[in-house]
Amino acid sequence: MNRDEAKEILQRYRPGTTDATDPLVAEALALAAQDAELSRWLAEAIARQEALRAKFRQIAPPAGLKEQIISEHAAAVRMKSRRHSLAFAVAGVLLLLACAGLFGWWQATPPASDLAIYRGRMVRAALTGYAMDLTTNSEAPLRTYLAQRQAPADYVLPAGLQHATVTGCAVEKWQGANVTLICFRTGKPLPAGESSDLWLFVVDRSKLKDAPAPGAPALANVNRLITATWTDSNKVYLLCVAGDAATLRTYL
Amino acid sequence: MADNAEFENLVARFYAPLYQFAMSLAGTEADACDLTQQTFAIWATKGHQLRDASKVKTWLFTILHREFLDSRRRQTRFPHCDLESAEFELPSISPAAISRLDTAQVLAALQKVDEVYQAPVALFYLQDCSYQEIADILKVPLGTVKSRLARGLGQLQQLLARDLTAGQNPPLNL
Repeated sequence: MNRDEAKEILQRYRPGTTDATDPLVAEALALAAQDAELSRWLAEAIARQEALRAKFRQIAPPAGLKEQIISEHAAAVRMKSRRHSLAFAVAGVLLLLACAGLFGWWQATPPASDLAIYRGRMVRAALTGYAMDLTTNSEAPLRTYLAQRQAPADYVLPAGLQHATVTGCAVEKWQGANVTLICFRTGKPLPAGESSDLWLFVVDRSKLKDAPAPGAPALANVNRLITATWTDSNKVYLLCVAGDAATLRTYL
Repeated sequence: MADNAEFENLVARFYAPLYQFAMSLAGTEADACDLTQQTFAIWATKGHQLRDASKVKTWLFTILHREFLDSRRRQTRFPHCDLESAEFELPSISPAAISRLDTAQVLAALQKVDEVYQAPVALFYLQDCSYQEIADILKVPLGTVKSRLARGLGQLQQLLARDLTAGQNPPLNL
């Protein structure tokens, strides 16, 4: 290291700091210790830096700055606290309203009955979801087939259905139990691809928790069909057809 | 939000050096106050993320410097004198002449130093920060700090020498 290089390094040297631990600064200081001219230059450079440092350290914060920073922080904390309180209050009110609404809806909505669910599901099966297991216009093979499948086979057809033409049968499921589906034709023109337009479902009465008491059939519109539901002996019957009540009654 | 007592202790400990740094960078009392307050406001919301308590000083100075750079980007660049590359041979300016200057004149000269050198020079004079601390605060390599200090100190003293010779240097409003 020569004198010029040492000056370049020592111009950023501050006595009393960790600067001297910098290996280059330490080497330059060692050189200055042996070089009188460099030593004089260093002394003046240090004095100049000290004078400048003193100027910088005369910068004084304006009166009240500290208090202003602290008071603004306190105000921000209070504001945040208020916002939190308000948010909690709003959230609480919304939760209460939601609970009240939910409770009201629960109270106002009667639970769907087992029978209603059964009726809806069987109507959907009639309209869209079944495949004929056995196609026949004779009733005897139906009973044999249904008995073999452990589906209700000892059903009693109402008088009105005696005149309808049977087309076949299928076995549906309701909560693990077999449901007999007997398909008929009313004699009216059928939509393309359809072979039946009148359906009778039979299930053991024990499989429906709210099976109707024995008596006159109860009529209800479900989807685009009209249905009649009744209990006879230990079976629950569900008859479905497109049309109105008068149409349906002709098959009861 | 930081705990109130903890926050007040922190402010008491660092507001003056932060203000000095801010003043050295911004050059006006209003901007320096804003920068100092903004730094503590950021501490209040994000200071808890700092895991190493020994880094508080570095963290605060870093935030203040970043805020200064952000505010400077939003403004027209501060005009500064074009100087030739700093020479290691500093101008002949006596310590006594410097002592006759007031702080406003020194800060006015610092404002004319290339912007990239202002922060290292201010930290160099104000805080006795080690070169490594300056590097940490400014997020630049250690070697960059040394070269920026060499150039910044050179520019500052050139400007002061020029002003002393010309006898003119509009003081800053302190």
